[in-house]
Amino acid sequence: MSSEECDSDMEYSDDDCCYADYYNTGDDCDIDHIDPSKIDPEFFIFECLSVEEVERLLNENVELLSSSLQITPSLAKVLLHNHGWAVQDLISKYRSDASLLLVQSRIKPPHPPSKTDGSSSHSSQSSLSSKDSLEDDENQKLCPVCVMLCSVDVFSSLACGHKFCKDCWTMHFEVQIIQGISTGMSCMAQQCNILAPEDFVLTLLNKPALRDKYQQFVFHDYVKSHPQLRFCPGPNCQVVIHAKELKAKRAVCTNCKTSFCFKCGMDYHAPTDCSTIKKWLTKCADDSETANYISAHTKDCPRCHICIEKNGGCNHMQCYSCKHEFCWMCLGDWKAHGSEYYECSRYKENPNIAHESVHAQAREALKKYLHYYERWENHSKSLKLEEQTLLTIKTRINQKVMNASGTWIDWQYLLDAAMLLAKCRYSLQYTYPYAYYMEPSSRKELFEYQQAQLEAEIENLSWKVERAETTDRGDLENQMDIAEKRRTTLLKDFLEV
Amino acid sequence: MFKELGDIRASGLKAFRDVQVDESNLLLWHGVIVPDNPPYNKGAFRIEINFPAEYPFKPPKIHFRTKIYHPNIDEKGQVCLPIISAENWKPATKTDQVIQALVALVNDPEPEHPLRADLAEEYIKDRKKFVKNAEEFTKKHSERRPPE
Repeated sequence: MSSEECDSDMEYSDDDCCYADYYNTGDDCDIDHIDPSKIDPEFFIFECLSVEEVERLLNENVELLSSSLQITPSLAKVLLHNHGWAVQDLISKYRSDASLLLVQSRIKPPHPPSKTDGSSSHSSQSSLSSKDSLEDDENQKLCPVCVMLCSVDVFSSLACGHKFCKDCWTMHFEVQIIQGISTGMSCMAQQCNILAPEDFVLTLLNKPALRDKYQQFVFHDYVKSHPQLRFCPGPNCQVVIHAKELKAKRAVCTNCKTSFCFKCGMDYHAPTDCSTIKKWLTKCADDSETANYISAHTKDCPRCHICIEKNGGCNHMQCYSCKHEFCWMCLGDWKAHGSEYYECSRYKENPNIAHESVHAQAREALKKYLHYYERWENHSKSLKLEEQTLLTIKTRINQKVMNASGTWIDWQYLLDAAMLLAKCRYSLQYTYPYAYYMEPSSRKELFEYQQAQLEAEIENLSWKVERAETTDRGDLENQMDIAEKRRTTLLKDFLEV
Repeated sequence: MFKELGDIRASGLKAFRDVQVDESNLLLWHGVIVPDNPPYNKGAFRIEINFPAEYPFKPPKIHFRTKIYHPNIDEKGQVCLPIISAENWKPATKTDQVIQALVALVNDPEPEHPLRADLAEEYIKDRKKFVKNAEEFTKKHSERRPPE
């Protein structure tokens, strides 16, 4: 069963140590006819595109739509942007009722404009302006916005027929663009929501800086409205991720290495789903005051009561003073953790809570939240501490190689172990919000059982990684295998995307 | 701006009167709202209209200078009027349309999107009490109505 992984292990000598590649070596697999998503619940195909590549992709859609419907590319863009870039869907809608589609897309007015007066919707105030004897001689016309007489040939309008002078249109667009509005810019008439397509805006907009800004904002809006595209959330990163399926799976930017959930753009959060993790993070932010006191970094040894600062990621603690082995989370004896009675991760609800007072229920609710929050926060801290372990391992490896005790390749398994540990602990951290929002049920019991198993194996792995030089290589690799198996088992059973 | 001011003065709106503009600052108007509907029809309410430099491409701002007991107008005199919100603003909107919308809002409160949730709740649940409070408040704080 592990032979496949052993193979890829041997072949693994990539210089950038990306464990995602390590575990998703689909090409090296002998069994390539099996759907990879069945084997790996986190399997996800995506590509990282540059701005130019995205523009090309969008333009292909625009050209396809404009040529099959015989409309301008500019109108095609408005349609695509308003309909999630579903080209085929738009074509069929257009064929069944073009007029309805154009009205719904705010391209065409619901009622055709009257030919006599462009500013037909101003009938309410035309009683005011019509008193002006200046209005509408042969070659001149009053612009309803600046209330100035202008030559008729500087007037233009959208499909709705509301005519305004060139300077007012330009000024309108400039003010809107400065406020960050681009695809949403519309006609200036009261109650008119007809959108201004790109070609209309660009013929009127003449300041180069604002033209650039406009095109930038428009591009941003297009990517945001496209279900298959996501901006990389990394700071100052221009990359756009493209994936065929809109799923809550891990995408990693090849440029800045930011890893995130493709669906919601937040940090990757399997096995928890997007809405649950959002609820959880909001809750944590709201309740941070109550949770603050628990974020202390020190605890007392449960046997000798000496104050212990946690400086490693492993939760299997051994007191320096009395050598007592205990669990950092629950302060229980570690011996009980090794067995299958490992229940530190499980929250035990008070069965009689329904009969207790409101106060007691509130206290119980807080206790329950803190139980999950403590563990969530603790694994997050462990992850940070284990990053330092990784750095230490790197320097140790360098020292060893310099002292000619083994080659660099000989010691790679230590790095692999540390990175696998990070991957497993990350998933473990995100099991806590999932468990918090689960209703008590047999499924929750199964989840918490698997979570406990995973947690136990991760702490074993962490213990061994921290003592890597005294641990047998085979023993460590065996532990890696067990931990990763536990992780994928849990994800296979509970990750729903 | 001058034209709009002239239009408004000439239009003879009964509900918006006594329009004053400081000669040194054309962008700041003062005026008095004179509502028709109870419980506000016993008083008049002084307002201030601030036009931005970019007017009419950005909306004017309206403030109540007279205290008013109203679900859509808060204690600071700020008013929530969709027609002049930045998202809905249209450059072709005329000030008299804005005033008409404001007068309509004063006459008929819209408790669905309140600025003062407590008053909106009272307005919906206990209209009698709301009217009584608003009348008393109007009597106490509002301005004398200008002669017809």
